[in-house]
Amino acid sequence: MTRRVLNMFLAEVTRGMRLRQTWAGVAAVAVAVGVMLARGGVARDGRADYDFIARAMPAGIGLAAFIMLLAWSACLVAPELGSGSIRLVLTRPVRRGEYVLGKFLAAAAYAALLALEASALAWAAAAVLGEITGVEFGGELLFTKEEMAFAWLGGSALAMLPLLAGAALGLFISCCTRSTGLAVSAVFGVWILLDLVKHFLGVDRLVFTTYLESCWQVLANRADGLDAEWMPMAWQCAGASLGATALLLAGAVLVMRRRDISG
Amino acid sequence: METCLVLDNVSKRYGRTLAVDSLCLELRRGEVMGLLGPNGAGKSTTLGMVAGLVRRTSGRIEIFGLDADRRFTDVIARMGVLVERPAFPEYLTVRRVLKWLARLSGKAVPVDWALRVTGLDAVSGVKVGRLSQGMRQRLGIAQAILAEPELLVLDEPTSGLDVESTRDTLAFLRKLADEVSVAILFSSHQMAEVELLCDRVAVMRGGRLTACERTAAVLSWDFSSLEVLCDRAEEAAAALAAERWVTTAEALPAGVRVTLRGEDADRTAAFLVSKGFQVRGIVPRRRTLEEYFLKATRP
Repeated sequence: MTRRVLNMFLAEVTRGMRLRQTWAGVAAVAVAVGVMLARGGVARDGRADYDFIARAMPAGIGLAAFIMLLAWSACLVAPELGSGSIRLVLTRPVRRGEYVLGKFLAAAAYAALLALEASALAWAAAAVLGEITGVEFGGELLFTKEEMAFAWLGGSALAMLPLLAGAALGLFISCCTRSTGLAVSAVFGVWILLDLVKHFLGVDRLVFTTYLESCWQVLANRADGLDAEWMPMAWQCAGASLGATALLLAGAVLVMRRRDISG
Repeated sequence: METCLVLDNVSKRYGRTLAVDSLCLELRRGEVMGLLGPNGAGKSTTLGMVAGLVRRTSGRIEIFGLDADRRFTDVIARMGVLVERPAFPEYLTVRRVLKWLARLSGKAVPVDWALRVTGLDAVSGVKVGRLSQGMRQRLGIAQAILAEPELLVLDEPTSGLDVESTRDTLAFLRKLADEVSVAILFSSHQMAEVELLCDRVAVMRGGRLTACERTAAVLSWDFSSLEVLCDRAEEAAAALAAERWVTTAEALPAGVRVTLRGEDADRTAAFLVSKGFQVRGIVPRRRTLEEYFLKATRP
């Protein structure tokens, strides 16, 4: 099974590299980080460099990468169902669950690529234009560069979780329809709806989209000279995101297994 | 010959519509079976169920002696499938599509061979989006034979192909069946290609199997319908028409066309000779697949 999922994943990566929207996502993340750089700038004042990273990461990963990932993952299955090319894949030694899993792994790899790009660009800009020697206020070192790097690393690790849930959401919706346009519209519709109703229902903490930004809170606070706790946010982020990922993936597998694939 | 495909009481229901109704079929290694039927007869659904694309409502499918559901990956790895109107990622080249599918097959299969035998080597670097319908169909055949299958399931494999390509494809498929014992189950609306390629024909109507016979038996001589080459055709026709064992007798320029109540060509010849006609030969009519098909699909 592992080999078949890996084959599916590698085939999907090969295919994905030839898609224009893959590179549109890479461009969008670069633009998001660039906009943050243009808005706030980076100075050698002992904290503006980290402040920039703390703003660039949610913009690059939590917004640009998330939007592009939603669109990308919504296009994973629906176009194949619509055109009928899915029949080529499903008449290979690949089970439908493995097909979904391979697609999800490809989306996860894409999420990792976009996150890596945002991080690399943000750190590169901060290193060139700033000092990245730690956070100082009035000559006093409040957080060392190791502490800041740890805050960034923790934020990055946590930021991947809502991205994975977003990929699973896109994939699930993509499995439910043969229309690419409908899949993309539906995935953004669900995201907007989730964000609208979660406050009214008081379930913010249970919805993974909440953590797109809040996982960077520790880094942002430290960049401002304040300390912040990881807990309970980290557990809540992991619980909400991984729970949503598991549910949506199971749903996608179920939908695919029950589907008749016709031309 | 070893049985490689068994459909046992297989049914498929779409809502209230029974697309395939209690279908039973067997296909042996090296055998080519043509699945015929009018539009909506359930041919594509049947092939879809064999290929694992369509979930059956009831019944059992066994391929190479294995349960097609439980051992799906083992079974499908030994099969090649060409679906109706195959679709490919338009942005990939022909070679890249085959490599992509070869990777999914999990085998180190040579794509050059498939390109060569389907005549696609000249367009291997062309993107699928730029291919004609016929070329796409060839690509469909190429991907079906890519992993050197033991069972081929082909839904209208020559659809969109020109005369020469159709002939080459049919010859190639026949060669696969004869030389490598590949079993082939295919659907078609073209009687001529079924006659040419198939060892056995199965006819479906309204989801049910209405007839299944060896092609040689279907295309046998019909001794109840004869063309008798004789002199004085008008007189001979009149003499025959008066006999009770003759249904119709019609004069032709070189003889008589006669239909009998039984299959007794000798009696016809003896009768005409006894009446003083000079009989130069008797040609029984050859039954056609079209007749068989129309008879089997008549409501």
